[in-house]
Amino acid sequence: MPEYKGMVQPVRATPEEMRKIHIEPVPDEQKPQKALEYLDQIRKKFRSFVMAMESCTKCGQCAENCHTYLGTRDPNNIPTNRAELIRKIYKRYFTLEGRWFGKLVGAEDISLDVIEQWYSYFYQCSQCRRCAHVCPFGIDTCEVTFIGRQILHWLGITPKLHASVGAAMEKVGNHTGLPKPGIVDTLEFMSEEIMDEFGVEVEFPVDKPDSDIMYIPSSADFLLNPYTLMGAGMFFTYIGANWTIPSTVTEAGNFGLLFDQYWTQRGNVMRLLNAAQELGVKKIVWGECGHGWRAAKMYIPSLADRPVRWPITHIHDEIADLIRKNELKLDPSKNSKPVTLHDPCNYVRACGLNENMRTIIRAVTTDFREMTPHGADNFCCGGGSAILFDDPEMYQRRILLSKKKAEQVRATGVGKNGDGILCAPCSICKAQLYPMVEEHELGVEVKGLVDLVGKALVWK
Amino acid sequence: MPSTIINGVEIELDEDGFMIDPDLWNEDVARALAASEGIDELTEDHWKIINYLRDYFKQYHIAPMVRKLCKETGCSLKYIYDLFPSGPAKGACKLAGLPKPTGCV
Repeated sequence: MPEYKGMVQPVRATPEEMRKIHIEPVPDEQKPQKALEYLDQIRKKFRSFVMAMESCTKCGQCAENCHTYLGTRDPNNIPTNRAELIRKIYKRYFTLEGRWFGKLVGAEDISLDVIEQWYSYFYQCSQCRRCAHVCPFGIDTCEVTFIGRQILHWLGITPKLHASVGAAMEKVGNHTGLPKPGIVDTLEFMSEEIMDEFGVEVEFPVDKPDSDIMYIPSSADFLLNPYTLMGAGMFFTYIGANWTIPSTVTEAGNFGLLFDQYWTQRGNVMRLLNAAQELGVKKIVWGECGHGWRAAKMYIPSLADRPVRWPITHIHDEIADLIRKNELKLDPSKNSKPVTLHDPCNYVRACGLNENMRTIIRAVTTDFREMTPHGADNFCCGGGSAILFDDPEMYQRRILLSKKKAEQVRATGVGKNGDGILCAPCSICKAQLYPMVEEHELGVEVKGLVDLVGKALVWK
Repeated sequence: MPSTIINGVEIELDEDGFMIDPDLWNEDVARALAASEGIDELTEDHWKIINYLRDYFKQYHIAPMVRKLCKETGCSLKYIYDLFPSGPAKGACKLAGLPKPTGCV
């Protein structure tokens, strides 16, 4: 299933896998009718969506600002055209002119082909919101992708990657399926590695009752990003924190935001709050995960089923605050290779982390070079919203989707001598960029930001 | 669902060629999966990595951190890519009969 009538599509979850995440797939012959019902339900609830359906004037501002369109040059990947894949159905059934004049006004009947189009194009959009950032009318096309994916999910069409992550989260409390013994073993290994490399004793307490801080790392850190995990452990030890990692929610991500905001996203929030309550913590600190931080910071307050008693901050906020207060002794010469910063879209266009990341990177490196454009104007890595599919057709597409990012990195010159660092402090960005810096031969190594902090800390 | 018959036993595989039931793994299955990955012959170093992954998985029900795999087997990441062109997760784990890693990996 990598293609449908010439359109690339990610491998989809089997009916059995969909049932594991509480969805009974709708039979094909009923899909068009059901899609309309779900669309009708949703349009009545979300003004943001109706605004995208009704207000777009097709000015085209979004086109050249979308890395997906720039990489593929497929007209359906222009954000307004992608939204049009739903808008033409919305017009046909929910507007007067569409009901009367049909095709003459761009309306189209719902069909299985249209639904398959949604599946192809809503999973090429990375929900990076750069189009929203430049839209003169303030239309957030990401909201259209959210809703397209939600309807597909209810119909039983979800990528295998997203569905298996949803199931793993429900089963063990993280996306990679790490059970507690595996978590503890990896953290003990991290303690040994820190002792070997930095000569410092660092413990990673798991499920420690009455801790002040509950740290929520990305589970990908346990498999692929050792220095992000080590850096966090070293930071909390350095400041003398009473902290712990919960084995029941060892996951900063929340894929519910990306494919199922009704059940999966909400379920993950409750799980987090339960852990905070059981461990008696005073504060929740988030690890390096872009979409997960957006889901935590911007959605927990409205999704929670009880008062949220805990402040929730990002580890970058914590580190930057102490740098400004001059409470961390840092030696930037420990990171003397040329470094550039890839801004995770959710940090800079949804969560306001722009300045804090720069406060940190300037304090821990000696040769920092900004990309152009950067901050809120930055381009996505091409993997946003976890479109990290690795079947051959979709993998080829990922190379195209990261083309703009590759141009930006190259233009900084950090990889010119083959020893540059591309700091990308988000697990999805890291997972996308590890192979992509090789595909585009950028001469850089991908690192998190906490990684660089850990290396620069000066111990007494 | 794709499957392959090895020594008369039907082995079910997912779309990416990972085993559905890791308990059916044996060395002949690993050799057959190696062929599908374009690996002609499994050398001593291949087996060292495969066996380490299997032992770790048996104990912890998860693959080890890539850094730990490298350290414990004495193989650099580059060398693991030489041995398993699809890499430690998508190549070595597949041959060792582990499930496909999920999440942001």
